[in-house]
Amino acid sequence: MARNNGRGRAAYTFNIETIGFSRGEKLPDVVLKPPPLFPVTDYKPVPLKTREREDYMLALKQELRETMKRMPSFIETPEGKLDIERYSKRYMKVYKEEWIPDWRRLPREMKPRKKCKKDPKSKKAKDTVKGTSLANTADMLKKTEELEKRGDGEKSGEENEEKEGSKEKSEEGDDDGDDDAAEQEEYDDGKQEEENDCINSYFEDGDDFGAGSDDNMDKATY
Amino acid sequence: MTQAEIKLCSLLLQEHFGEIVEKIGVHLIRTGSQPLRVIAHDTGTSLDQVKKALCVLIQHNLVIYQVHKRGVVEYEAQCSRVLRMLRYPRYIYTTKTLYSDTGELIVEELLLNGKMTMSAVVKKVADRLTETMEDGKTMDYAEVSNTFVRLADTHFVQRCPLVPATENSDPGPPPPAPTLVINEKDMYLVPKLNLIGKGKRRRSSDEDAAGEPKAKRPKHTTDNKEPIPDDGIYWQVNLDRFHQHFRDQAIVSAVANRMDQTSSEIVRTMLRMSEITTPSSAPFTQPLSSNEIFRSLPVGYNISKQVLDQYLTLLADDPLEFVGKSGDSGGGMYVINLHKALTSLATATLESVVQERFGSRCARIFRLVLQKKHLEQKQEIPKTPDHAPSRTFYLYTVNVLSAARMLLHRCYKSIANLIERRQFETKENKRLLEKSQRVEAIIASMQATGAEEAQLQEIEEMITAPERQQLETLKRNVNKLDASEIQVDETIFLLESYIESTMKKQ
Repeated sequence: MARNNGRGRAAYTFNIETIGFSRGEKLPDVVLKPPPLFPVTDYKPVPLKTREREDYMLALKQELRETMKRMPSFIETPEGKLDIERYSKRYMKVYKEEWIPDWRRLPREMKPRKKCKKDPKSKKAKDTVKGTSLANTADMLKKTEELEKRGDGEKSGEENEEKEGSKEKSEEGDDDGDDDAAEQEEYDDGKQEEENDCINSYFEDGDDFGAGSDDNMDKATY
Repeated sequence: MTQAEIKLCSLLLQEHFGEIVEKIGVHLIRTGSQPLRVIAHDTGTSLDQVKKALCVLIQHNLVIYQVHKRGVVEYEAQCSRVLRMLRYPRYIYTTKTLYSDTGELIVEELLLNGKMTMSAVVKKVADRLTETMEDGKTMDYAEVSNTFVRLADTHFVQRCPLVPATENSDPGPPPPAPTLVINEKDMYLVPKLNLIGKGKRRRSSDEDAAGEPKAKRPKHTTDNKEPIPDDGIYWQVNLDRFHQHFRDQAIVSAVANRMDQTSSEIVRTMLRMSEITTPSSAPFTQPLSSNEIFRSLPVGYNISKQVLDQYLTLLADDPLEFVGKSGDSGGGMYVINLHKALTSLATATLESVVQERFGSRCARIFRLVLQKKHLEQKQEIPKTPDHAPSRTFYLYTVNVLSAARMLLHRCYKSIANLIERRQFETKENKRLLEKSQRVEAIIASMQATGAEEAQLQEIEEMITAPERQQLETLKRNVNKLDASEIQVDETIFLLESYIESTMKKQ
């Protein structure tokens, strides 16, 4: 206790001979470095169970891992430009189903907002597009296609997304990407960079093109 | 959250959702609850990407949101739920044993997608099952629906909280975030759907392992336009119910190992009777009378009432105290001591670890100390009552709770190491793996177009013998590492259950 601590003499509470040091012998040095990375173990680990149950779960696990990579929830990191653009990469790209969340269940701030990045030309396109009724989509498509071609592919993709996000409520509140075939809603940033997708979306997208919501007027300042 | 848990969460998130989601998820786990803009600022990610990541995390029940004062919405991550991703194979396999392939696929789809409506699940599962059936056969929606209903009835799947129906007379701006609510009694209520249809087989041209750019694929316009009858009613897997099942399984097999098959069947019957009546975190089940148990025994079991009573008495007298007698009415009232059972299981795990790591002698000492609660090394009774160190006793004891916690922490670290090593092995051999995948794809396409044996042989030889050897070794190692992860998770489950039960008791 406190009384004895200051006395200085080391007194063990148990018989030191029992753990292998004879009385008076020099105790081993204090260890000054971290223990080895792969210490030697006296006993080898027990082998793994390999019954049918474990085998099945193993196969399941590996399958799940692969499947998850192909799900829309797996958000790819946009890769930087590689030094050599491999031809085979184009054919190894995995097709991902689109997925749109049910906006009703999420906070309002979650919906992506369009940000006008570049030129006023696209802004004009947006304005003209917004007022269009569903019936006039065909003409609008052509016109805006021209305008948007020069604009930012990503922006128009997002615009699409925004409109469809609000229009969505009546049609598909589902997360199931399969149902959203009509919308080229790419929840995948990488794809929006390409102009190709933008054009595709305009062609295939029929009905959800008008009646945009009004909360997309976050105009960025230049 | 300990560093080990955070590290493990990071690895799991990255494997399942990619780096962006991982970054946001780990940040939230570390810092607690934060609003959107702060997340974007602190992680240096664009607002857009943060939103996407959060949508994914919320969809998979890993992050929840809350509206604070002044309309600020804050997001909070659920670290323990992230760790459950390790257990997905076990959930799916268990469903397979209970509800066969249909149930298995239902749970798999729900786990992969986080939440889904019943109609979406049924359709997807029917399609998948149809793929595996012989040509010309399809899976009917009704059969899948039935299995879904059974899963809901036994509480393995449950409804997600709903968006409350808004009244139109609500003045002012809509709230920044919906408050989701769910009624206890509605949680397992299956909507009355009239799902008619059969699974569709995908056209073989669509199934492409290499995944050609499908941007121009014709869309299935027919399915979209139908209104979804159960719009807004989402379902998720009820992990707690699975945990209850695992716990019951562990108890039954412990009794079977210690005693015999019949005793374990009796215990299983008692647990089954208590499934709905007893909450899963209770220290013991509701008392069951011997008569009731007799009536509920499985049909094939032909033991007489007296034999049952004898077994029950034996179980109640057993020092493990899994079963306790709580009264004499109805032929004897018996309960299952859930907390004691979990403690025994956790203790057995500890003993086993000590044995395998330090040898039998250490294990024996450990068991002795556990049994006697407090032991001393070897001392005579002191003659003086003061606290002088040379004459004071120091007793050894095992603090099971803190030992369990320490072991659990080690388990998390182990799995993190296993995952890292597996990723390392895969990365080392990336070039070879890609090559072998390409060769397989070539062979597959050549077989489809009808190539000769000699040509196939030639292509196969593109991979040399030593490379084949390397691939074999890689596969074996990865399998071992994966299997280890699954089995360490079983230990994690036992320890976590024990710790949770102990904390609830206090």
